Order: sequence, then structure tokens, then C-alpha cells
Amino acid sequence: MRRLALLVAVATGLAGAAGAQEALSVTEVGQILAQAASEAEARGRPATVAVVDRVGNVLGVYRMDGANQADPGFSTLGVAADPTLRTVTVPSNPKGSDTGFNGVAFIPDTLAAIAKAVTGAFLSSQGNAFSTRTASQIVQDHFNPGEANTPSGPLYGVQFSQLPCSDLSRRLSDGTVGPKRSPLGLSADPGGLPLYKNGVLVGGVGAIADGSYGLDANIFDRDQDVDELIAIAGAAGFDAPTSIRADRITVDGKLLRFADAGRGSLVRDPANPRALAAIAGSVLAVPGYFSGTLQAGQVFLSAGSGIVRDDATFGTAAAVLLDQTGAPRFAPQAGTDLTTAEVRAILRHALTVAGTARAQIRNPLGSSAQVTISVVDGTGRVLGLVRTLDAPVFGTDVSLQKARSAAFLSSTQAASFIRIADGARTLAIEPSLLPYLTQAQALLGAGAFADGVAMSARAIGNLGRSTFPDGIGGTPSGPLSRSASEATPFSTGLQLDLVFLDIASHVLFVRGNAAADVATQCTRLPAPLGTRVLANGLQVFPGGVPIFRGQTLVGGVGVSGDGIDQDDMVAFLGLHRAAIELGTGIANAPAARRADQLTPRGTRLRYVSCPVAAFLGSRSSNVCAGL
Amino acid sequence: MRWAVALVWLLTAPAADDDGPLAQLRRPGAPPRETPAETPVVVDPTSVPPPSPFLRYEMAPVPDRWRLVDALGVRDEPWNPYRQSTIKGDRPIFDDYFFNFSAILDTVYEPRSFPVPVGLQSTGRPGDNDAFGRTPSNVLSTNLIVSAALIKGDTAYMPPHFELRLTPVFNRNRVEVEEPRLLYADPSRGTTRTDQFTGLQDAFVDFHIRNVSDRFDFDSVRVGIQPFTSDFRGFLFQDNQLGLRLFGTRANNLWQYNIAWFRRLEKDTNSGLNDAWHEPRRDDVFALNVYRQDLPVLGFTTQATVLYNRNREGREGYYYDKNGFLQRPAPVGFERPRDYDVVYGGLNGDGHFGRMNLTGSAYYAHGRNRFSPFTDEKTDIRAYFAAAEPSIDFDWLRLRLSGAYASGDRDPYDRRETGFDAIFENPQFAGADTSYWIRQAIPLIGGGGLALSGRNGLLASLRTSKEQGQSNFNNPGLVLVGGGADVDLLPELRFSVNANRLWFANTKVLDALRMQEGIDRSIGWDLSAALTYRPFLTQNVVLRLSGAVLLPGRGFKELFDAADGDKRYYSVLTNLVLTY
Repeated sequence: MRRLALLVAVATGLAGAAGAQEALSVTEVGQILAQAASEAEARGRPATVAVVDRVGNVLGVYRMDGANQADPGFSTLGVAADPTLRTVTVPSNPKGSDTGFNGVAFIPDTLAAIAKAVTGAFLSSQGNAFSTRTASQIVQDHFNPGEANTPSGPLYGVQFSQLPCSDLSRRLSDGTVGPKRSPLGLSADPGGLPLYKNGVLVGGVGAIADGSYGLDANIFDRDQDVDELIAIAGAAGFDAPTSIRADRITVDGKLLRFADAGRGSLVRDPANPRALAAIAGSVLAVPGYFSGTLQAGQVFLSAGSGIVRDDATFGTAAAVLLDQTGAPRFAPQAGTDLTTAEVRAILRHALTVAGTARAQIRNPLGSSAQVTISVVDGTGRVLGLVRTLDAPVFGTDVSLQKARSAAFLSSTQAASFIRIADGARTLAIEPSLLPYLTQAQALLGAGAFADGVAMSARAIGNLGRSTFPDGIGGTPSGPLSRSASEATPFSTGLQLDLVFLDIASHVLFVRGNAAADVATQCTRLPAPLGTRVLANGLQVFPGGVPIFRGQTLVGGVGVSGDGIDQDDMVAFLGLHRAAIELGTGIANAPAARRADQLTPRGTRLRYVSCPVAAFLGSRSSNVCAGL
Repeated sequence: MRWAVALVWLLTAPAADDDGPLAQLRRPGAPPRETPAETPVVVDPTSVPPPSPFLRYEMAPVPDRWRLVDALGVRDEPWNPYRQSTIKGDRPIFDDYFFNFSAILDTVYEPRSFPVPVGLQSTGRPGDNDAFGRTPSNVLSTNLIVSAALIKGDTAYMPPHFELRLTPVFNRNRVEVEEPRLLYADPSRGTTRTDQFTGLQDAFVDFHIRNVSDRFDFDSVRVGIQPFTSDFRGFLFQDNQLGLRLFGTRANNLWQYNIAWFRRLEKDTNSGLNDAWHEPRRDDVFALNVYRQDLPVLGFTTQATVLYNRNREGREGYYYDKNGFLQRPAPVGFERPRDYDVVYGGLNGDGHFGRMNLTGSAYYAHGRNRFSPFTDEKTDIRAYFAAAEPSIDFDWLRLRLSGAYASGDRDPYDRRETGFDAIFENPQFAGADTSYWIRQAIPLIGGGGLALSGRNGLLASLRTSKEQGQSNFNNPGLVLVGGGADVDLLPELRFSVNANRLWFANTKVLDALRMQEGIDRSIGWDLSAALTYRPFLTQNVVLRLSGAVLLPGRGFKELFDAADGDKRYYSVLTNLVLTY
């Protein structure tokens, strides 16, 4: 009976993901902008609003006159104030001095609105509707934020994904295919919501009117956040189904937040908006993102979205990426140390594990995990990437980040590569990377990131938190983090500092202060085989493990899209099962080389953590024991 | 009603024989008592003649009747509780003030196992790749309970006029577990914890207001930290708490009443004792109850009660326990600080119907939660509980049946919370702390920092802890059906066995907390046995050894696993109680 219910659930999930041909029309994009702008106008809080489709194509950007702040420019780099721009400020660090993006005030508000819209669309799916408020809850020092002594948010660091320099994420010049990049990564500033049409996820809306691109540090009160209220007005009629909203999904027993306010808090009936033309403002072109003409969204899993269903390659329901010519991206291929068959087997087994795994963040209960899986070689080149049909889009880029991060920091060259990147710094605003190495050596010994310890994404996360052990106040920060008083979600440490200049120069490009956009590979780390080792940035939350052949590091596998324990399991167990089937010598890292052999300051690092009640229709837990 | 039962008794009672009614009183199954043959009275001419009623005698005044024995050479032996002792209240210290002192040394060594989470940030050993860690652990806990009372009035035949009592308890405890972050929130603090605490379990003044009848029916008032139990078996509220209580009796003790207000004290995290040095909790219990003896039959006492639990801890912010874990609000759902008001109406009974002993309880909880953890809105609390334990004695053997039902929440996302939770339970039921389920706290791993069930608790109430958490009415409820026996193998040695079958009443809450569909209701079998040895046939030396095992049912297995592969969980209690 239970198995039958499972089949039905899977079948309906497939229908929801694959069968529904829904997308936003140009009229609907205009309607969403008008609804949001009408609420903003009624509140006397001019806003900038963006609408994107599920894969991140920007369908419309509307800026009301006087929205947010006048541009202060950026005197450190000799950038003058631009009277045509309106900007937002990242709040200062409440704990101490500003580093990273804390206190930065020269970001065009259009980019903030786009990042928020992308976040609403990318974190959501047919099984979960998450908002930027949800993001805020899961990227801070504690989960929940403000609850002392608890570990950090499960997606700590996810804000620095979908980066404008990512080699995976697509740009406006790539046509309509996604997944698109986000100018500022993902956003934790309330006011970004997913959009659903007839129950199908079709995109996201982001609004900003308060001039502050921040987060919600206190989730125990209920805010009346003007950005969020405007976004709620925009999303009216395109609301997320109640049953899959974040506030019906628990992580470790805690409900996620969707929005602090509801439709009842609006001051204007969104069903009866003013015409956009009647509101003081304009649809605005944004370089690198939006042409200035409202666009219709792409149907998800159509060729135009850059993600299509492909059941043939892996012999099971799956989705793969296409470029704008319709050619596959990241079809399984051989690298220097992995064969095509090995890459395909790892991806296939990981898909199978995901297909039977109990989803942590999806409704209805009984759904299977939906994830993206990436395999890279030892130098970070993509050897294969596959998605389950309804995996949240953000995990596409993140899975690759995790695979690369595990492969890179498990390599004996990691420390020297970081030194090379540090040596390539040219601008004073570029943070030094050497303190991270020094701190790592102090904690882990002189051989840190040079002795070939197998670093999983989870172990990297242990070392990359603002406290060590994670969440325990009064302890020094992890070696890959900014100091405890400096670290914030806008300044995570090595993760951001590797790409800080990339993001900053991209912002300058959008502002018109730089002629060229940022390169399509992040960081200044070396590119041994033409691809920089972390070409879409470092990721510091669980779901990636290195691949070994005997004692030799040969690559990494990364997974993202469901709970972090599920992500861990899909990567670790998928690789393990592939290794058994293949018998070619590839495997998880030898147990004696894994990061969980290390006990810096008496706190053992973790390698992976597979979930409770791991599989649907089965009582098994501790499924990764002894592997 | 009484009349009818009496009639039944008369009709079914065996006919009285010629030896009179006393001859019928015998242990069941024992042969009839043999009456010794009457021997003729022989007058002994050498014996002392009987005193004459008019004989003069010398009178010597003594201060009080207790010092009469001085003249007989009976000396005060303070350290022998079985001899005349001033510190045991055998004679006054002045006027008619008595001092009573007692000391109990209660030591528990408790090896046990329960589902243990692997630390989120750190693990005990390499290769811990999963959520469930190694299960064994042990506790060594010693309580030195010292009680001192000053009592005015001769307690022999009338209630005391006044009583002042102080009972400090000195606890030292040591716990060893296998996984970090189980004992301390900070995983680097390791897997062993030694702690000590001095709690105050009694500190009250009892004032006898008046007698209201020739049979010493009375009204008294008691102020301070004092024991209170809401029913015969401690299902709802049994604790030593700071309070003001008016109580008394009427009609030759046929009626008893209590009117009480308690402001609950914070409990020490690791000893469970009252932390009288901490600001009391923002939690009040108002209780009103009436006991009626011999209702509906002779030998059965019926009690009706109303309790109101008013909790205002929504205003205190975040409360962390001594080990760094959040206790209030529970880290679950929306995790917002919350207030609640619950009125419990209860009907309880204890006694016997003929040869059948029966104890029973029924409660209905009606209230309002200011913030449901699941909906973030006001919700109504509507929950109920019922339990009964009939037993019957056959000479040295008592056979018991136990049944309990606590309603479970049907839908955490609706506006009604229907899972029953108590205020502070301490159930003497279904084997009590011999039973695995009642004795051990089981963490709901993967579902937040909650205990599936609390220590020394029956309900699967999903609080952070019984001692420091708030009541939670979004819980799966409980069904218990069990049986047991107490066997008096020797006068000094009692052997008890219990077998309880346990289920959740409704697992929807567990499904939601774990994002796990259709968790089965079955918790499993709880099998236990205990030996109680009283070598001197007194309570001065009691040695107890008990062991219990939980054989998990389907639901429990769907929730938990163990790194050491042991799918059975055990609880062993070695308990030595020395009393002075």
C-alpha cells in the first residue's frame, strides 16, 4: 500500500514537473510589475521590481522614480556618483568592522531586485516554495538565526553561488537558456518570492524599496518589511501553493519561514492595480540582464529554458543542460583520470539514490529528493552534470561548486594554488588570501591543504564557519572564515574573497564604470587544463566528496537541491555504488585519508552525514555506516 | 449506589460461621485459623494480689509525659532511629515543639541505551557517516536528602499546630555517553559530565488554622516549597513546588480538600532538583480538588479536580539550560516564545472493589496556545487522557493490568492541538521507573531538540525536557496496554515483572517534524523486571535491581537506528537507599 502510494507520488511529481507547459506571458510580467508598483505607490515607497522565469531569464525590471538611494559612487576606486543610478546599501556588520560586502553602497538597485527574484525562482520547485526570507533563515551563523549554541544554517554560503563570473551560469548573450547567473549571488533580503501559475513554478519576483540589501537577523518577530509587502502584491494571483510553502516544511523539526506578512497586510488590492504607465517610473534596461523590453518566460524543461528531459543517457528519468544551439552541455565525458563510463555510472547511481531518498524539503511527504549532480576531474573540469526533473535550479551551479570544492581542497596543490591566486592580486580592495592558509596551518598543521587529506564539502564547511566548533559562541572562527567578529553572510571568508573582485568588477560593469563584463571563470586560481579549479566559486556547505582511485585523487562529485544530509548521501552513496558496480578502482576517499581523521582543538571534523530515515518505503537509517 | 454494592456484597459473602466475623479474616487461600482449645483458669495462690482501688500512692510531678521514661533509665539515642531520640521527634526540644530529622542516601547506577544522535558538528570517531550514534551510556547519581522539621503539637492524636520543614538535597551526578554534543551543546566538551547541585525540595511553614469538629477535622495552610500531587498516581502534576495551599478535612476525614496556587520553580538541568536560587518560572498552577472516601463503595476514594496552568514564558525570551541547549521555547516549528493557558478537569479514583484493587484517572485539557509552533497563530487545546490499573492479590502474589490512552494531535497545521500533555508528570504506573519507556528520555533525532518522551514520564509529549520545557500539545499521544505481577518471594524480597505494549495515538506530528510519511504507530514492547530487597524488613536499607528492554515496533524502527547495530534498548537500575 505504501509502495503504491509512493508510485503515485512519484508519478504525480513527474506530471507536475514535466507535463505542465506553463510560463509567464509578457502581459503577466507587466501585471506582476504593476501590482507591485501599485502597492509601492500606495505606500509612498518607490520600489524597483524585477521578474524572472524559473531558469533566471530576466523578464522585466521596473524602477519607480526616486526608488531607494541616490548613487554615492565608490571613491576608493575613483568611481563618481552617477545621477542616473539608484542604489542600495549592504548593511554594516553589527558585530564589528566591515569586510566583504558589508557597508558597500554602490550597488544598482536593479541588481538587488534581480538577485531577489532569481532567489525566489531558483530555491523553489514543484515540491517547495522558498523565498529570500527562507534563504535568510538558512545562511546565518545559527539555525535558527539568534538561537545560541546551534550550528549554522544548513545552506551557509549558498548566497555566493550563481555568481556573475560562473562558467556554468548563462548570460543574457547566451539567449534564453538557463540557468542564468545572478548579479549578486542569491539574496537573503526579504522581498523575493517564487511565482506559480496554475500550480506550476514559473519564476520569481524581487522588490526593493528600502535601499537596504540585508537579511533578517531576528526571525522571532514578525516584520512588516516593505520589500516583502511589495513582492507579495506582485505575486498576487501567482501565489505559491500553501501546501508546499516553506512554512509547511521542517528542517530538523524547525519550520522554514516564507513571508512574515500576508495579503491582508497590503494597502491596495493587488487584483486591481494601477496601470504601469500611470505610475511614475520606467521599465529599465540592465546591462548583462535585461534588454529593456518585457519578455515572456520560458517553459521549464523546454529547449528554450536550457534544461530538457533526457531519459536515454542514464536509462532513467533525468534532465540535462543544453546550450542555445540545442547542443548538450556537460554530457558525460572522460577526463584525464576518469573514463566516460565511470562518469556516467557515478551520475546514474547518484540519480538512483536520489530517486529513492526521502526528501527533506519537499511536500507532499513521501516525495523523493530532487537534486543536481555534477562530476568534475581533479582540476575542476566538468565531466558530467545531470538533474532530476524537478530539482531546484540553484543546485545546478551549487552542485558543481561542491564537486570542485571537494576536489580542489583535497588536492596536494590547493595551498600553493591559493598562494598563486593571492600573488595575482593587483588592487588594494582585493583581500589577501594568505591569512586563511596561515590559520589552516595553525589548526591543521603545516601540511594543511597540501597533504592530500580528503576534504568533503561538509569538512570544508566545518573549517569555514565563523566559530569552530560551528555555532559555539566564544570560540575562534574556522580557518577558512573571516574572524568571528567580521564574518557575516556578506563576508564569509575565503569563499567570498576568492571572487570578491569578480563580483565587484561585474557591478562596475553594470553601472557603466567598466567596459568589459567579468570573465566567464571565477577566481584567480590556476587553470591547469584551461578551466580554473574553482571556476564558479568555492562552496562551503555539505554535499560534495572527492573521488579517488586508490590513493590518487581523480575528481569530485557534488550534489545540491534537497536537505544537506540528502545531498551528502546522494554524492557519497552514489559514488560508492558506482565504485562497486564498476570495479575499476574508483571509490570514495580511503577512510584513513578522510577529514574525519582530524581532530583539531579536540573537535573531530565530519566527512559526510547521511540522513535519518534515508529511503522512502524503507526503515533503513545509518545507510552510510562503514563505507 | 453504596447501598446496591453493599447488597451485592452481602449476597455474595460466605455465610458467617459460629466463630464470629473475625474468624473470616484470613489470607485468601489460607486454611481456616485454628482456635486453641480453651483452658480453664487456674488461680495461683502465690501471685501478688490485685491492687486495691482505694490505695494511696505518691505523686511526683514531671515536666511532660515524654520524660517519664527518663526515670526508667531509657536514654536518648539520637543516632538510632528505633530508640528514643529527640532528633526523631520522640520528645520535645522545648514546650511542645518537636524536632524531626531524617537523612536518606539514595544512589543510582544506571547503565542504559537509547537512540543517540551523532553530533552535527563533530563525532566521537572517524567513519561516523550517519545520524545515529552509539547507544550505551551510564549514569551514577547520588542524592543525599536531609530533612529537618520543627513541629508544634503532639502528633499522636491531633494534627500539629505548626510545622516548619526544610529538605535540602545534595546531588552529585556523573554521566558517560559515546557521542559528543549529547551532554553539552559544545561538542568539544566531550562525552563525560560530572556535576553537582544542591536543591531545595521542601521549605514550608504549615499552620493549623482551626479544628472544625470533635474528630479533629481541620483547616490548614501551608506556604513554601511543598509536595503536591494532583491525583493518586502523579499523571498530571506531582512535584515539590513553591506554593500556597489551603487544605483540610470534613466529616471525620470522609472529605478532604485542597485549594492551592503554585509558582513553579526552575529545575536544575542535570539533577532535576529545584533551583531555589533561580528566579521562578513564569508559570502558575492553580489547583482545586476534593477527595471523598468510600465513594462509590467502602474502600474506594474518589477525587474530582480542576487545575489551571497559566504559562507566560512567551515573555522571557530564550532560556538555555546548564548544558547550553535551548529549553524554552522548544526549538521546533516556528520556535517563537509562547504563552499558554490550560484548564484540566479530572476525575480520579483509588481503592478496591471487593478484592479487586483499582486506580484510575481521567483528564480533559481545554485551553489556548498563544502561538502554535506549527501555525504561528492562536490555537485551541483540546486533549484528553485516561488510565486505569486494576490489580488483584493472591496471598504473596499481586497481578496487575495497566491501560492508558493519551490523545494525539491529529493535524499539527490545523487550529486545534489535540495531543495531551501534563504539567509535571511523575507516573507511578505500569511499572514506573522499572519500565524502559517511563524511565528513559528518548531524543527525537532529526526532529529538533525535543525528547520524544521525558525521563520518568509516560507521555510522548515532545517537550525539550520534562523538567524545564513547556507543555506541548502538538504530540503523538500514547496508548499503553500492559500487565504485570508483584511476587513476594520472601518477606524481604519482592520480584516484579511488567510487560507493556506501546503505541502512539497519532503520528501526524512526527511525520511533520521528520518530513517522513506515514510513521507507524507502534512503539514496541517494553519488558521489565525488578528485585527489591529489604534485608531488615524496614525501609532503612532498600536495594533494588531492575532491568528493562524495549523491543522496538515498526514506528520506533522507522524513527531510530543505532550505530552499533543494536536494535534493542535497555535500562538497568541499581538503586541503594539508606534511610535514617
